[in-house]
Amino acid sequence: MSERKQTTDDRNENSQRTTGEYDGLRNGRSGHETGTEGRREREGGDGRARATGDALVEINELRKIYDPDGAHVTAVEDLDLDIGDNEFVTVLGPSGCGKSTLMECIAGYLEPTEGEVLVNGDPVAGPDPSRGVVFQSNRLFPWKTIGQNARFGPQMRNAVDDDRIQQLLDDTGLTGFEDSYPHELSGGMQQRAELVRLLANDPDIMLMDEPFSGLDAMTKELMQEMLLDIWEEEDRTVLFITHDVAEAIFLADRVVVMTARPGQIKDVIDVDIGRPRDSSVLTSEAFNEYQERASDLIHDEAERAMEQKQQETQEA
Amino acid sequence: MDAARLAKRGISIASILVVWFVVSAVGPETLPGPIAVATTFAEYVVDPVYWSAVGLSTARVLGTFVLAVLIGVPLGLLIGWNVVFGDFTYPALELIRPIPPIAWIPFGILVLPTLAFSLGFANFEVQTTVVFITFLGAFFPILLNGIEGVRGIDDEYSRAAHSLGAADWQTFRHVIYPGALPSVHTGMVVGMGLAWVNLVAAEMISGGGLGFMTWSAYTGGSYPVIFVGMITIGVLGYLSSTIVRYVGASQLPWMESAAA
Ligand SMILES: Nc1ncnc2c1ncn2[C@@H]1O[C@H](COP(=O)(O)OP(=O)(O)OP(=O)(O)O)[C@@H](O)[C@H]1O
Ligand SMILES: [Mg+2]
Repeated sequence: MSERKQTTDDRNENSQRTTGEYDGLRNGRSGHETGTEGRREREGGDGRARATGDALVEINELRKIYDPDGAHVTAVEDLDLDIGDNEFVTVLGPSGCGKSTLMECIAGYLEPTEGEVLVNGDPVAGPDPSRGVVFQSNRLFPWKTIGQNARFGPQMRNAVDDDRIQQLLDDTGLTGFEDSYPHELSGGMQQRAELVRLLANDPDIMLMDEPFSGLDAMTKELMQEMLLDIWEEEDRTVLFITHDVAEAIFLADRVVVMTARPGQIKDVIDVDIGRPRDSSVLTSEAFNEYQERASDLIHDEAERAMEQKQQETQEA
Repeated sequence: MDAARLAKRGISIASILVVWFVVSAVGPETLPGPIAVATTFAEYVVDPVYWSAVGLSTARVLGTFVLAVLIGVPLGLLIGWNVVFGDFTYPALELIRPIPPIAWIPFGILVLPTLAFSLGFANFEVQTTVVFITFLGAFFPILLNGIEGVRGIDDEYSRAAHSLGAADWQTFRHVIYPGALPSVHTGMVVGMGLAWVNLVAAEMISGGGLGFMTWSAYTGGSYPVIFVGMITIGVLGYLSSTIVRYVGASQLPWMESAAA
């Protein structure tokens, strides 16, 4: 518990420190931070999002082209992004802009057409348990009970820790549902169970692709708070994809806003709202400002994405 | 099931009997009525010859069905899972599949032997032609549904397993196999039905069991026996498919339909 407190304090300090950085950006200057205490730096203007020395994930000039039967779809283009250790980054982008593609490249499901994805300095060469994934649709194994799903990762690696799994099930209110099958649970519970399955494996990086998009507003808010609690408790890096502006800001240290396809980074917003956060943040003035700014950024892109979509349906 | 539903189903069966009764009363003399058939049936059920035909046909179907499951399930899963393995095996199987069971009979009679062996307490003869043709009936639905079952599993389940640390064979064991089971199960139900269809065709021509009993009743002119054979085959086919359906469903507790 004391450890947790410390982390939280650290983060608060951090966010205060980065306030200047944010202001600097707003004024169009590049906000370089100096000193050993600085966690991140950004080069303004070109949309490149950088973290200093301790970048855990480094994405360099990533391009992904899909080529099904000669059709040429550039999903992601010239994308540079660094994600720092223990950072919570959300990716906000319109429908079809390449968010999932980006995540699948980091997860190791897809090979970049050009560019590279480095984790801890090494190129990603396939999926790995240190990079856990939550999918856009719930992917609990329907043929396994909640308990079996939760144990799956540790079981594969011969490292089952029953106490830890029990603790996670308790924390997420799933005790007593160990023997239920996924389809017997509500959507929110399924999503929590998938989170438990991921956490039981103790990944360094959590890649989450719109995990709460199918939930009702109330459940969604609770899940967001739960996720933040979990993240603050243990050292973890999160890349969280969403098309929900409020969600992106509420969760993030940094919001990466993407353009319509081909997906590039349009801008990066540093969110300097103290932690721990709870839903009271949602009504604060600072939150509203961020929300307005992000909405402005995303609005044009969403329009472009929609036009693309219409064009495609006409062609088809 | 409630009484009203049972009653409706009873009416369905009763109406067949009524139609049969009427047609046999006004129709050709060679068509025996339900009462004549029932009388013959009563004689047959106490006749050991009848039961040895039932036993032989049932043993053939069960044995071949088990064989078809043991070969068809792993083969189907592998073909669906591994593209290279599929390319090497699937085209050959697709070439064989459309050949109707009857068309195999001359080939079987010419090429496939009758194996005789003794297990101490009894002597056995296995007509491999009948076994082979019955096998084809059960095998292909199981194989094809196995392949389809694997292809129908969303890739993201395998991806999830890999990201949780599963090796390829663990993914096969924990994702591909259980994920394909509902479809494999459907294949088994269909395969069991077709095993009976093919069995009877093969038995009529190359001998033994209920198929031969039915056919020789025709050649020998004892027409009610034809119906005894037909009804017996129908009931056994229905029973064995139903058993496969229920046993299978009890093994798939995670299916929504099984729980509902
Ligand atoms: N396997 C594929 N083959 C061809 N095109 C693809 C493939 N996967 C994705 N695409 C296309 O690439 C683009 C980006 O897809 P992606 O799924 O990454 O977008 P997204 O931002 O996650 O969208 P959404 O908001 O709908 O989840 C889309 O136009 C999509 O149609
Ligand atoms: Mg997506």
